[in-house]
Amino acid sequence: MLELKNIFRWYNSGVNRAFVLRDVSLNIEQGEFVSIMGPSGSGKSTLLHILGMMDEPNEGEYSFLGENVLKIKEKQRAELYKKHIGFVFQAYHLIDELTVYENIETPLLYHGIGSSERKSMVADILDRFNIVGKKDLFPNQLSGGQQQLVGIARAIITKPNLILADEPTGNLNSKQGQEIMELFKTLNDEGVTIIQVTHSEKNATYGSRVIELLDGRIER
Amino acid sequence: MLQNYLKIAIRNLLHNKVFSFINIAGLSIGLACCMLIVLYTKDEISYDRFHKNVNQIYRITSTETSPDGKVDKYGITGMMPGPTFKAQLPEIENFVRLQGESYNIKKGNEILVQDALKVDSSFFSIFTFDFVEGSPKTALKDPQSVVISEEVAEKYFGKVSALGKTLSINYDDTFQPFTVAGVTKKSPQNSSIKIDLLMPFHREKNHDDQWINFYLNTIVKLKPFANPKALEAKFASIYAKEAKGQLIEAKEKWNFQSTIQYGLQPFLDVHLSTDFRAANGLKDESDPMYSYVLMGLAVFLLVIACINFVNLTVARSVKRGKEIGIRKVVGGDRKQLIFQFMGESFVLSLIAFLLAIFLVELTLPIFNTLANKALSLKYLFDFQLISSYFLLFLFTGFLAGIYPSLVLSSFSPVDTLYGRFKFSKGSFLQKSLVVFQFSLAAFMMMATLVLYTQFDFMVKQDLGYDDKNMVDVSTGRMTLSETHTFKQELLQNPSIEKVAPRQSGSWRTIAKVNGKQEISFAIDVVDEDYLPTLKIPMVQGRNFSQDFPSDTSQSVLVNETFVKEAGWKNPIGQRVNFFSSNKTYQVVGVVKDYHFNTLHESIKPQLLTCDPKRSSFAQLSVKIKPTDIPSTLKFIEKTFKKLRPTQPYIYDFKDQSNQKQYEKEAKWKQIISFSAILIIFISCIGLFGLATLSAEKRTKEIGIRKVLGASALAIVSMLTKDFLKLVLASVVFAFPLAWWAANKFLENYPYRIQISTWMFATVFVLLVLITILTISYQALKSALANPVKSLRTE
Repeated sequence: MLELKNIFRWYNSGVNRAFVLRDVSLNIEQGEFVSIMGPSGSGKSTLLHILGMMDEPNEGEYSFLGENVLKIKEKQRAELYKKHIGFVFQAYHLIDELTVYENIETPLLYHGIGSSERKSMVADILDRFNIVGKKDLFPNQLSGGQQQLVGIARAIITKPNLILADEPTGNLNSKQGQEIMELFKTLNDEGVTIIQVTHSEKNATYGSRVIELLDGRIER
Repeated sequence: MLQNYLKIAIRNLLHNKVFSFINIAGLSIGLACCMLIVLYTKDEISYDRFHKNVNQIYRITSTETSPDGKVDKYGITGMMPGPTFKAQLPEIENFVRLQGESYNIKKGNEILVQDALKVDSSFFSIFTFDFVEGSPKTALKDPQSVVISEEVAEKYFGKVSALGKTLSINYDDTFQPFTVAGVTKKSPQNSSIKIDLLMPFHREKNHDDQWINFYLNTIVKLKPFANPKALEAKFASIYAKEAKGQLIEAKEKWNFQSTIQYGLQPFLDVHLSTDFRAANGLKDESDPMYSYVLMGLAVFLLVIACINFVNLTVARSVKRGKEIGIRKVVGGDRKQLIFQFMGESFVLSLIAFLLAIFLVELTLPIFNTLANKALSLKYLFDFQLISSYFLLFLFTGFLAGIYPSLVLSSFSPVDTLYGRFKFSKGSFLQKSLVVFQFSLAAFMMMATLVLYTQFDFMVKQDLGYDDKNMVDVSTGRMTLSETHTFKQELLQNPSIEKVAPRQSGSWRTIAKVNGKQEISFAIDVVDEDYLPTLKIPMVQGRNFSQDFPSDTSQSVLVNETFVKEAGWKNPIGQRVNFFSSNKTYQVVGVVKDYHFNTLHESIKPQLLTCDPKRSSFAQLSVKIKPTDIPSTLKFIEKTFKKLRPTQPYIYDFKDQSNQKQYEKEAKWKQIISFSAILIIFISCIGLFGLATLSAEKRTKEIGIRKVLGASALAIVSMLTKDFLKLVLASVVFAFPLAWWAANKFLENYPYRIQISTWMFATVFVLLVLITILTISYQALKSALANPVKSLRTE
């Protein structure tokens, strides 16, 4: 599905280059559930951002569904991203001024989907995640686990084939975390590719593969 | 999508009530001011447009150039140019002369003073006025008839038809019956010609054939496609030919050597012309400068309000950053985000706009008194007005929204969502904008202070004579014996201290001194009571006196400036030769300079004569005791009605009429101080918002400092210091500019205040106080907050 070749990412600090990623090459197939692990500062999040096209490497190649991501135009890249990728964050990142319903609906607006279709799509997801009763609440009225459910609902409503999750259970207690991981497992079973960054060995066990980063290099 | 944006915009507004209030209050004040000025300017430029074929209507102007190069511009001519040019130039379709006049009219036992215009019978063939009764074609044909407006008709005849009725008008010193031959509708308020009463010109007994005489407006209607420039050249040759004899005579008699050039001024330019002013019967003369100044003030107010929006929106962007990041992550592109933020700015502007319309309706009466106008949204309502208001709305929404939209939409989601976001780009701009706001505020405060001080100075200036408890009574021309009787009758009353008759009005003439030297001066005819009544001291010589009977035919008094101008070492006994009337007077005394004119002019040479042959008396200055003024006034009125039954009773307190001369200054004083207050208010609410945000942003820092032992005072001064620095910076910009502008402005006044350091100090202290007051609420609040709380939230 996607392939990274010899990716370097660095920041210039004074005369020195501070390397975040060094020569990372990686191949992920459709339907995989990959966990990226490693200590703080090992470059996990940066790697995820590059995969999610939110950041660009200084060197290297990235092909996604056969497209050369770093060579195509900004607009095409945005299209590619919009169509295929969903993001889930550790801090949920819901829009505080919008209700649960409206938060989930927002990506559909940017995808230009008509009003009645939007309604049924959001209703389906709310139903599936068992949060119909919460649809008119604002994020600050929800528990962390519920907020993360909404975050995931928002990420999958556009039916992406890749979900990038940055420590999705980092702010949750273990029971809530377990539920979220079960949900990812189900989604993965339905054919969605999932790449998650995690600290937790336990969470990594839900995945089919673990990539371990240390000082910007893939160790395993 | 739009709905989603609107929802967010409105929720944001409700959620941040302080900021919504600051922005909406500021913008609606700014917009309301702009709307008022649009109305004002629209009214100004709409003057006289209602006449048919107004583009063919011109006024003949006169430009007099004297041999020493001095140029005088008059919008007026004598009687000759109109008919002479019309007769010789086929390009002129018609002409009309008009001159302001006032008549005494009998209404029952009362005598009323009526404003009027003397006009040629061609008046209605050039100007377009609607008639209530009668017809414009026939109205001014009969010399014993007049045309009046519906208001004047109601004044004299009540609500009944006035057509065919007669008015008893004092003409050539006798009351004569005039038939009302037409009644016009009330003249439009944006008309330079206000019809009260039109009196036909062709009643004049002696035809004035002097070319070198300027006292009336001559308006011509040109044929279509006539070239005014070419006509002006033709005027010159006609004048050279026709006035040749008179010019030779004038040179011999008056040493008149000036050249006169006749020009054509489009009638539409008259209202706002500063060279050739609307006067001598044309009303409402104005100056485009008023529009410019008001427009400038209003635009500044709006810009300052927009600055608040920009500053607060950008300063809050750290909070909005997360939302922006999310929107980008879920697929929003930059264009959509710009669109969203612009939308928010427009929503806010729309609310402010609607509020502004309401504010305009509310404040129009006040504005009208300030600006001497009768504006209303209804009267000027048209497509142009709607579109200019709509443009104003678009301009505001755009100006306020564009910069924040561009900045906010450029945020990278990785930065904003991962808390690595530090927004520093805006801070220099934010500071500059605050400095700009406060520079303006400081400038306006300075302007207000200078205006107030100058006004106070003029009003309280010692005029060189005593104008307290002085009643000026207009009497109409009186013979010497009538004057004497009136004086004696008044002096019967012990409350009346002194009575001094005068010629009334201000007159100028020229005479020769030291043999050949020509001198131009103001002249007034008075008697021996004038100086004592007004308490004007003598410097040399003596006052007029009954003991010197020859005074009335031989003696004059002059003021100090006259002596200076004449270059006399020993003024007493010097001769003044009125060469045009071939009469020589001797100077018997010198009076101390006093302000017989307004303080807008420096004291000019003045000559006082008591020669009754020069002019009869027409005014009495009555000095009364300050006790029981009403009954003294009643007494004066009773005496007046007994002795002057054919004259209207008009009186004025001298000190009040002196004050009235500075009405214009008083108006501007109010307008400038109003704008200053608004500018300061809008700037301060903006500052309040910024202080709130800055305190919020530094909550953690303040908490740590307090834990480490900083006192509340130290925290307050830390938070205040940054903003005070900005105020200091703005003063650096504003003060030199204000100093320059104030000096420029004060140059118009020969008697003026000095700009001194206390003014700058006052403004500075005020500004600092206002700033501290504005910030201190937030600073205190955060300084007194419990640090445990602020640190725990992190």
